[in-house]
Amino acid sequence: MTDVLIGIDTGGTFTDCVVIDAAGRISTAKAPSTPADFSQGVLDSLGLAAERLGLDTRGLLARTARLALGTTVGTNALLQRRGARVGLITTRGHRDVIHIMRGARGVPGLDSALVLHFPESNKPDPPLVPKTLIAEVSERVDCKGDVVVELNEAEAEAAIARLVAKGVEAIAICFLWSFKHPEHERRVKAMAERLAPGLFVCCSVDLVPRWGEYERTAATAINAYLGPVTGRYMDRVGQRVREAGLATPVQVMQCGGGVVPSAQAAARAFLTLDSGPVAGVLASQFLGTVLGQKHVIATDMGGTSFDVGLVHDGAPVASYQSVVHQYEYFVPRIDIRSIGSGGGSIIWLEETSGSLRVGPVSAGAAPGPVCYGRGGTDPTVTDAAVVLGYLDPDYFLGGRLRLDREAAVRSLEPLAGRLGMSVVEAASGAGRVVEHQMADLIRKVTVQKGYDPRDFVVYAYGGAGPVHAAVYAKELGAQGVVVPLGGVCSLWSALGAASADLLHIHESVDIQANPFDPARVAAHFAEIEARGLAQLREDDVAPDAARITRSADMRYRGQINEVEVPVPGGPLDAAALDQVVADFHRRYETLYGAGAGFREARVEMVTMRVRTSAVSTKPALRPAAEEGPAPPSDARVGTRPVYWAELGDFESTPVYWGDKLRPGNVLAGPAIVQVPDTTIVVHPFQSARLDLYGNVLIELHSTPPVPGGARALPRGGR
Amino acid sequence: MADTPHPSSVDGGPYDGVTFPYIPADQLRIDPRLALHRDFTDKIDPITYEVVRHNLWNINEELGMTIQRISGSPVAMYAFDLNSSIFTEDGEFIYYGPYQLYMSGVSDVQVKWTLEHRSANPGIGDGDMFLSNDPWVGAAHQMDVTLLCPVFWEGKLFCWITNVLHQYDVGGITPGSFCPNARDTFDEGILIPPVKIIERGELRRDIEAVYLRASRKPYLVALDLRAQIAGNVTATRRIKALIERYGPDVVKGVMRKIIDTAESAFLQKMARLPDGTFRERSYVEVATVGDRGTYQVLLTMQKQGDRLVFDNAGTAPQVGAINTTYSGWRGSILTAINELLCWDQLYAIGGALRHIEFRPAIGAFTSATHPASVSTAPVQAMEISLYPAYNTLSKMLAGHPELKKDVMCIGGTSQFPLTCFRGIDQWGERFGYLLLDPMVGAIGAFSFRDGIGTGGQVRSPICRIGNVEHNEQSFPLLTLYRRENTDSGGAGTYRGGNSAITAFIPHGTAEMWHETESSGAAIPTAPGLFGGYPACTNAYDFRRDTDVLEWFRRRRIPDDIGELAGTEELLQLRQTDIRQGPADVYEVAFAAGASYGDPLERDPEKVRHDVETGDVSRAAARDLYRVVVVGDEDEPRVDAAATQALRHQAIVERLGREPAPELAARFPVVRHVTECLDLVEDGGQRRLACARCGRALCDARENYKAHTLRIDRPIQASNPLIGEPSRFIDAGVEFRQFHCPHCGGLVENEVCRAGDPLLWDIQLAVE
Repeated sequence: MTDVLIGIDTGGTFTDCVVIDAAGRISTAKAPSTPADFSQGVLDSLGLAAERLGLDTRGLLARTARLALGTTVGTNALLQRRGARVGLITTRGHRDVIHIMRGARGVPGLDSALVLHFPESNKPDPPLVPKTLIAEVSERVDCKGDVVVELNEAEAEAAIARLVAKGVEAIAICFLWSFKHPEHERRVKAMAERLAPGLFVCCSVDLVPRWGEYERTAATAINAYLGPVTGRYMDRVGQRVREAGLATPVQVMQCGGGVVPSAQAAARAFLTLDSGPVAGVLASQFLGTVLGQKHVIATDMGGTSFDVGLVHDGAPVASYQSVVHQYEYFVPRIDIRSIGSGGGSIIWLEETSGSLRVGPVSAGAAPGPVCYGRGGTDPTVTDAAVVLGYLDPDYFLGGRLRLDREAAVRSLEPLAGRLGMSVVEAASGAGRVVEHQMADLIRKVTVQKGYDPRDFVVYAYGGAGPVHAAVYAKELGAQGVVVPLGGVCSLWSALGAASADLLHIHESVDIQANPFDPARVAAHFAEIEARGLAQLREDDVAPDAARITRSADMRYRGQINEVEVPVPGGPLDAAALDQVVADFHRRYETLYGAGAGFREARVEMVTMRVRTSAVSTKPALRPAAEEGPAPPSDARVGTRPVYWAELGDFESTPVYWGDKLRPGNVLAGPAIVQVPDTTIVVHPFQSARLDLYGNVLIELHSTPPVPGGARALPRGGR
Repeated sequence: MADTPHPSSVDGGPYDGVTFPYIPADQLRIDPRLALHRDFTDKIDPITYEVVRHNLWNINEELGMTIQRISGSPVAMYAFDLNSSIFTEDGEFIYYGPYQLYMSGVSDVQVKWTLEHRSANPGIGDGDMFLSNDPWVGAAHQMDVTLLCPVFWEGKLFCWITNVLHQYDVGGITPGSFCPNARDTFDEGILIPPVKIIERGELRRDIEAVYLRASRKPYLVALDLRAQIAGNVTATRRIKALIERYGPDVVKGVMRKIIDTAESAFLQKMARLPDGTFRERSYVEVATVGDRGTYQVLLTMQKQGDRLVFDNAGTAPQVGAINTTYSGWRGSILTAINELLCWDQLYAIGGALRHIEFRPAIGAFTSATHPASVSTAPVQAMEISLYPAYNTLSKMLAGHPELKKDVMCIGGTSQFPLTCFRGIDQWGERFGYLLLDPMVGAIGAFSFRDGIGTGGQVRSPICRIGNVEHNEQSFPLLTLYRRENTDSGGAGTYRGGNSAITAFIPHGTAEMWHETESSGAAIPTAPGLFGGYPACTNAYDFRRDTDVLEWFRRRRIPDDIGELAGTEELLQLRQTDIRQGPADVYEVAFAAGASYGDPLERDPEKVRHDVETGDVSRAAARDLYRVVVVGDEDEPRVDAAATQALRHQAIVERLGREPAPELAARFPVVRHVTECLDLVEDGGQRRLACARCGRALCDARENYKAHTLRIDRPIQASNPLIGEPSRFIDAGVEFRQFHCPHCGGLVENEVCRAGDPLLWDIQLAVE
């Protein structure tokens, strides 16, 4: 009987595995990632998980209905610059599109200090595609999709031959207006496949048929860069789990928020970028559905970054453009925003003002925080957390890494001395600064999308998230904090992969102004729906199991802001499209404020989009029986002194084992809950409760107002 | 410090923003009924300081982002032609937004004018906002509309929030309100000194109607006004939340400390820099249609102890349609000061301004009186006010081993080549707008690496251009090419970034109509530093009745306008009503980044790489860098022996003999002045010496240029893309090169009109 769901997430450091059986029992395993051959880490994590269930890998895989895999292979290839040598073919006259980068120097996504100081600012160096590997071909289509210059096949052949002679491993093709007339790109692709069999070739219209040649070219080039390495990995991991006994195809997590069979993943390799953090948002969506929480701010704080995604009204919030390596590129995905605030962020003194700063420089995983004892010398956020007593030096990562508190203290001493503070005050201050940075990011993410953070619950996961969540959530006025499913919260993306649906996103651009021609709009939707359904058929999904949702990106004519509006399914008539326009006006004003809509202007539809999905079997979470507010005695580790800024001093604070707490248990703050791989910090005047699924819910609003910053600094000290 | 008119100003006054520009005094005359919140505490712990400081920066950044999002116009979304600022209650800069920088630079005087002229009548109260676009009060030009918002706490004026957003059209004789043909400001958009358009939170419809009435696009202007209001409302709410949480004295204390901190950072830098006078000279060409004149700009910066004093005496008198006001001149220079000296304080320039004085030569075309035409100011007179300031500041920084890392050569489009076009578009509707492509810009070289090709505008760090596909959807044109322009950046040890070139034909329409408006087409406006060569000039190229459509039929697209048959037609820099038919090709190339250091000293391997990528042509490699690149296109190689011989020959040509070897016993160096000049001690006397060979050139109180080996060359010798100046102007143009008479090393270049006196660019204050 195959009734087990497996989610695996390959991260930079660990490969996480979550196994859920039909009874809703969850078991987890973490194995070190193996960058030389990531499939080894996958197998190792499966082996460990099987062992915990009293099985071997073969026994586990024999029972497995579905194995979904999140991968960092693409991200890793980009970070280490180990992707393919890419050749790019463009319309003649437009070879520099990817270098010009619309004149923005690739600053989107960079820290503002680097943007303001030009000597530190540069375009990507080396570039993803060097100028010498770009070839131009005469062909031209205009904005209406009419061919102005027929494809010059002789030039195309010469271009391909030249690139092949220069040793490219992949070819990306992006022509102007190709989304209005795909034939030229597809013909060149066919030529390349004929002239250079075995080479990875992709064209823009098959990936992101969107309006804007720079972002489309970048997406195509990134995809070509990642395609070969992703393909090799997929082949390898597929083969190894098949040999180990898995009967179904591996499914691969995509940043769009769904999975696809691994055979399809390499062709659209760019869709695997950031799929790990996206899977975390999916897991939050899944748990939110179980808990009846429709608005969730999903926050993931690891060693080097803090990632935020949103679930609104039960659905993850999407975006259609992203940045990697300074390149802006089109990609339909669940929106994730990041800042470089993690446990590894370095605490430093800004000399001129004598003020304390945190980040954006990070000690990363290597050398890491001082307290890791791996050669780090600059104090980090994690060091501060150790000094304050939040983290137990003997129980970090479940005791796998012993932390050196004294070294952390010493690393903060010079800084504290120059600030005229005690080490503890400096550590506490650093915590406050980083928590404000996180709150700022969340504010931007919510408010700029027209949402009010006070309507949301914060989910906190990742190694460092639950340490700080209660503060940033309170800062935002959020409704509460959920640290999900105890031990699973540090393998959250793996759970997300296990809960993901099969999903294909298809787009079509036809810029048209209202009143819209229903037949023209319907024809576009019919065409892209057919493509999605064809893909699902390839995935062996029965047509009646397919779910189709439509939307359109619209804007006021003459304006730039595009807003995604749902489009009803089925036949489209003028009345249905009038309703779409009305929805657009309403959504626009929600996002940009009442009166912001330019109602005198005509409304344009730019991109039409279809999500074709098939619902996967979801992990079945089973509530346990409530066992009352008092934690069992064996859940209590003891007490340790923890510094609380609210009290201005250390206080002997009870510490609990998270996995021994029982549903219904209530902990009054201050308290510390230790779960494998992370620590939950419950501040004074807050309380925490274990719900029936094993989530720790932190109640924020029982709090008397925290004294303002104007107060004299409390006398602390260690 | 208070600014004062330069003694060379035209007579008259008062300096109240009517005929003469408003120049605020040290002490503002504010009606006593307006209570100012002056209290603050300096007892703020470092953590609270950091949290509140970070919040204030974010509030200002979000103010700009809010306007950008709500406006949704191409000007706001791509060009980021907006900015936001936060000021103290009396108009001192706290934060200066990272968007279109000059716009913040012109905002503090508008706050101060409003305090002085509106505090009694109609009064400044809680919930009010003032709208302003008068360049004599302080705006850059009529289209840059400022919305000034006082923030009150418990009845006292606590601080100011302002934002500026460029409007599509505020009236005047030319659609878009850039009026290259204006006789004076009465031909241009409406002028509005600060008026209370929001009163106690309510938009005054009567005032709004006056504002919108002049515009050809009143709906868009109204929409942008709402974006500006929303930005100020959001920022006000956040500042008040900060005050509620931390208390007014703490928030004000943080504001003061941001300024004080920036002041000490500035003073620390000043203490490390040499005293002296630093000058730069530039020119604007063609003041009005049919004109062939050139108009000198002179910028003098004196550094004495902790003080900087800027003046523009020696700049040509106001003329035609090329002017800016005092505020535009000053606001432009603030951009360069921020980027080169205050970047580490996130552009919190208020502290530095306590030690900087501006002495405008009133009546010069960069400090014009009413009613001069000023609508083109930001793309012309303000750019030409800004870019020389990079060079005066860089020359001051160049000798310091650490601070020279902040040197940046001139970039951007140091004079913007405007392409205004109009007609009926491919959708059958009337259109009229500007080609924004030159915003793609270029960044000049640094003291340790190359500039950034198509790296945008230094005056607007996060601007961008639209895609070709955006342009072709909005306008009836087909872009033949838009790419980086080989050799456009200045040649140097570190190369200036290349800019771009674009060419198009009308498409989907029978014809379109153009107006040009440019300068920097005869005399390059991006001269290099310390032997670096200038970037290219702006260039329009126009060819009528070409065979381009025939090329299309043969499945070919030309790489260059020069490959096409047809009649070449020279476009003047201010030419109106140019008709472009379906086979007429219009090309425009943009000025690029200037360079740092003698191109002869560039690593030949880098030159080879530049040739391989197409950034530099083989001809330029040979002629300017004296590097011999051989081998086929795909595998260029450096011929090291030939290169060495060529480079040696270049030195011999300069000197007419073999160079003298480096001095065995060098004089003790007092300080480095530039890469090429040292201040040395020679038997108790301070002298300037060649940094290469160590030999003395002259007494340190003299202009070193007069003691070098000077070779004058035609300006075309400085960059392969520069053409014959007489096509546009009457004056001759020279590329003067100053070499060490001993070793032949290049010390500096000068770009100027023939006959102009030597510029004393670095005059150190020595005993």
